[in-house]
Amino acid sequence: MNLKRYVRKHRKPVVVAASGLLFAIGWGLGYFHDLDQISAALMILASIVGGYDVAKKAYYTLRSGTVGINSLVTLAAIGAIVIGEYWEAAAVVFLFSLGNYLEARTMGKTRSALEELLEMTPDTAIVRRNGEDVEVSAREVEPGETVVVKPGAKVPVDGEVTEGESAIDQAPVTGESAPVHKSAGDEVYAGTINQEGALEVVATGTGADTTLERIIRRVEEAQEAKAPTETIIERFARYYTPAIVVLAAGTYAYTGDAIVALTLLVIGCPGALVIGPPVSIVSAIGNAARSGVLMKGGEHLETAGKIDLVAFDKTGTLTKGETAVASVEGFGVESDEVLRYAAIAEKKSEHHLADAILEAARGEGGGTSAAHLTDGGTVVERPQIPDPDAFEVVAGKGVVAQYVDRRIVVGNRALLAERGIEVPTRVADHVREREEAGQTAVHVVLDGNVVGVVSLRDELRSAAADVVRALKDAGVRTVMLTGDNERTARAVAETIGIDDYRAALLPEEKQDAIESFQEEGHVVAMVGDGINDAPSLATADVGIAMGAAGTDTAIETADMALMADDLERIPYAVSLSKATRWNVTENVAIAVATVVLLLAGVFAGYVHMASGMLVHIGSVLLVILNGMRLLRY
Amino acid sequence: MTQITEYRVTDFDCPTCASNVERSLSRTDGVERVEVHYTTGRVEIEYDEDTVDPDAFERTISNQGYTPQPR
Repeated sequence: MNLKRYVRKHRKPVVVAASGLLFAIGWGLGYFHDLDQISAALMILASIVGGYDVAKKAYYTLRSGTVGINSLVTLAAIGAIVIGEYWEAAAVVFLFSLGNYLEARTMGKTRSALEELLEMTPDTAIVRRNGEDVEVSAREVEPGETVVVKPGAKVPVDGEVTEGESAIDQAPVTGESAPVHKSAGDEVYAGTINQEGALEVVATGTGADTTLERIIRRVEEAQEAKAPTETIIERFARYYTPAIVVLAAGTYAYTGDAIVALTLLVIGCPGALVIGPPVSIVSAIGNAARSGVLMKGGEHLETAGKIDLVAFDKTGTLTKGETAVASVEGFGVESDEVLRYAAIAEKKSEHHLADAILEAARGEGGGTSAAHLTDGGTVVERPQIPDPDAFEVVAGKGVVAQYVDRRIVVGNRALLAERGIEVPTRVADHVREREEAGQTAVHVVLDGNVVGVVSLRDELRSAAADVVRALKDAGVRTVMLTGDNERTARAVAETIGIDDYRAALLPEEKQDAIESFQEEGHVVAMVGDGINDAPSLATADVGIAMGAAGTDTAIETADMALMADDLERIPYAVSLSKATRWNVTENVAIAVATVVLLLAGVFAGYVHMASGMLVHIGSVLLVILNGMRLLRY
Repeated sequence: MTQITEYRVTDFDCPTCASNVERSLSRTDGVERVEVHYTTGRVEIEYDEDTVDPDAFERTISNQGYTPQPR
């Protein structure tokens, strides 16, 4: 590479090095009295070499009507040359450009968390076209095409596995540390790593339309969204810098001391103050993204740092959300008949309990049968559930349906009370027993008589108790919000050791509960699965959606999203936010303390231009390094 | 017709410098919207292609001492 091209490519470090070299030689020659003039000339040259870019930036800044850091430094350096302080001029310019160079380098490292994510996307994909496997650019794959993913390769598209079995490292997308087993029918994400067997995947999302790309875009937007502290400081800096110019002019007019006035200009640069908060926030957002937590911006991160109460939705959040029928009890009617009526009534319902009832009914026989082919080609009999003739959902309570000439009610105690349906003592006893075991029991009523009880269970997530404990240790109160009845809620709350619970809540009542916590003065985070909890997530100070990798809705509505269904990320997200808030405060404190000390030092006569610049640069690098600690949090 | 172009600038000295670049770009004839982000270094410009040549944006950014990379 020729010299010209090298210099153009590495302009910044070359300029800094040249300015530094000239400064050092000039300084050395300054010790020889005979060479004073050469020393001065070299110092001026060092100032010009190092200061050219600074002055150019200052010129454009001034032309756009603002006074910035570059203007202050340029003014100070020119002033120093005018009054014959060549050494100070060269030192200030050299130190300033060195500081800028180091600052840009470290900021680049801070941003690299995002770049690491970008590098996760593979460039090429093997696509099966006309029976042949061809290698094409990953962006050229069309949705619906079959992609072959070899062991050790990165998955190039979002898609569904059609052939093969393997363990996939999903860490780039979901932050999960352990590989996830995938086989036919499972979803895979672009950017994840196939660890074992070859897979065939039908592409559902390609190019810019993949989960990883969406995450990257979100992280980028999050890093660009300014936190309240940043906005305040930037506004402050706009007035602060001109104020320093006025102070320097005033000082010169009053004392006649040009050096003190110029020193004020140099130390007045608000560098550390302006740069501190964004570095902390960008580092924290980058760290969170790599751990599978999507923060939607500095504002939410700052609010999350104040959280003192976390409200959990129960189903799908504290529990696995895989509800299954635990038992069916008939009262005067066969239990499979009870299940069949319950399934007919629930057939059109979209409630997760309905899915469990339908699944059980299809598996347990009863009803008109229809033949279905299994994968192996064997014909099996599977019961088909007929549609109800009329169907009505009573939100939070159950369903009412009409089938032929039978009226079916499936629901909780509240629904039965509302409809004036009497519950016999033995049924009530059975329900109580089930609820005390943490199950959800629903009554099945036929033509006004309770004929059975379907009990459903939803296993608790193994991490739930640990998460609640970790939050308590961090001084955060925990509350569970559930539509389940008091007894079931109590059983679950006791098992996981949650501080408090609110039972039998309708969706809008969950929202009211959040508002009441806020009225008590709490800063509330709500953890839900992002879709049916949307109102509560929006009301809470910080809405945290779980399992966001699979749903766009969750990424859209929540302030923070956990890419995997991993509850253990919550204490991490809360403590990272708290650490970020502290980090921002520390950075502001370092910056303000530096300026105050330097100002005092100038007026006391201890601080001069070059030493002031050195301390100033030191403070800027210190806040950057302090912010970068969050990358490794 | 309105077009959107993006650059990445990774050598901003400070957030104020980024907002100065934003101001200069927004004063260019034919520019309808500009966003310059210090933290990610992203520069997004919406402009009228009949009024302004996108080369002018690169010049404006490099004239201020920064290196724009087209995205």
